Amino acid sequence: MVSSVELVRSVPPHVPTSRVYDFDFHNDPLYAEKGDMHDAFAHLLSNAPSMFWTPRNGGHWVVLEHDLVAQAMRTPEIFSSVRQAIPAMPVDIVMPPIMLDPPEHAKFRAPLNKAFSPKSMQEISASVRELAAELIDNIAADGHCDFVGAISEPLPVLIFMKLMGMPVDRLADFREWVHQTLSNTPEREIAYGKVAQLMAELIDARIKQPQNDLISRLIELEIDGEKLSRELLLGYCQLLFIAGLDTVVNGMSFAIRHLARNPALQEQLRADPSRIPDAVEEMLRRYPIAMPSRRVVQDIEWNGIELRTGDLVLMALPAAHLDSKAFPDPQRFDLDRDNVTHITFGTGVHRCAGSHLARIELQILNEEWLKRIPSFRMDPDKKERFHAANVLSIDYLPLVWTI
Amino acid sequence: MKIVIDRTRCVGHARCAAIDPELYILDDDGYIASDGFDVPEGKEASAKRGARACPERVISVVEED
Repeated sequence: MVSSVELVRSVPPHVPTSRVYDFDFHNDPLYAEKGDMHDAFAHLLSNAPSMFWTPRNGGHWVVLEHDLVAQAMRTPEIFSSVRQAIPAMPVDIVMPPIMLDPPEHAKFRAPLNKAFSPKSMQEISASVRELAAELIDNIAADGHCDFVGAISEPLPVLIFMKLMGMPVDRLADFREWVHQTLSNTPEREIAYGKVAQLMAELIDARIKQPQNDLISRLIELEIDGEKLSRELLLGYCQLLFIAGLDTVVNGMSFAIRHLARNPALQEQLRADPSRIPDAVEEMLRRYPIAMPSRRVVQDIEWNGIELRTGDLVLMALPAAHLDSKAFPDPQRFDLDRDNVTHITFGTGVHRCAGSHLARIELQILNEEWLKRIPSFRMDPDKKERFHAANVLSIDYLPLVWTI
Repeated sequence: MKIVIDRTRCVGHARCAAIDPELYILDDDGYIASDGFDVPEGKEASAKRGARACPERVISVVEED
């Protein structure tokens, strides 16, 4: 383990003391103190400046307020996606399209838009439903489960691995690697190496024998009349590995955790499943899990804050959606909320390419789970576990129900 | 009533089409396929809800006299 001291940076001269606030988004004691990661972000909104600089993880800005997050993410001329990782990437790798700015970004993004369009996702919804039903039926008679291990991990990850063309029998290994790539420990670099080696092997196999999967499509992809370089192809596949193997897992876990703690909502949705799409939108609004980052590429005063080229900026989407200026009474889950227009999937050109897949998976999960599992709650004898990084993750979610 | 869409700023959330897929037509990539349209009578409320659902705020409702 790298001690956190090595990652602490002294405050740069352009940052006024009033804007400095100590927050470690990977390991802040506030998470454990609140017992809930989103509550920790609500606490920051009330106690820290709307945009602050923290010396942790190499030193970076954190944007909390909804309006500032939305503005920043829609302004790639100031907030670039090139070399934006916090802490800086341990290996020199470009992962298109997430680490590219306009106009290059659009060319690399196009194949994902097609592969993950609302229409393409409708086409796979039957297979999502089938797998969801199978996984839930496996545990329904037990009266208890760890929701992560039983459902939220295998369901979206197996679906994604099949779309991608990855060997589905290695789910456990891959989940460990993806957590390491998102960590701020020395394992991060090693895990990137493992992912690169895996993807290189899969790319070689698909070059010899193309399949109907995303890796094969990316091999065939031409941009400005030329195929991707080996390096960019590998970077692209590494990105998909990281993006596909951890996000919906946690979206599902937070959704079902909310239901476990709110039996009246379970009853309401069981009685009227037509409200499930609205419930999913409010779950996404109430519990964002991703925190993208950007790198400042101009010396500029922005919303009264002095920024310098090279400053790194974390977009705290979980905080932005608990900002009462954007969402009145933000911590309340409100199925009939007047404004449910959230930016949980980001805003601007880097809008999560998997958003349509995620929505369909969340809707189907809610439908099949509520149909098959009677009133369920958190297991009072066991303790949930979670950890934070650029993705807020639930590692263990013990549930019980009466059979 | 008219809907005007700043199409170049659409990033493909597809929330407008989730509200009303007949009014808000998407292209094969899931991005909006038009710059706007005249709202048929009786569809005003749905058109407004679709506009409001856009996270990028690039859909405007133009009320005519």
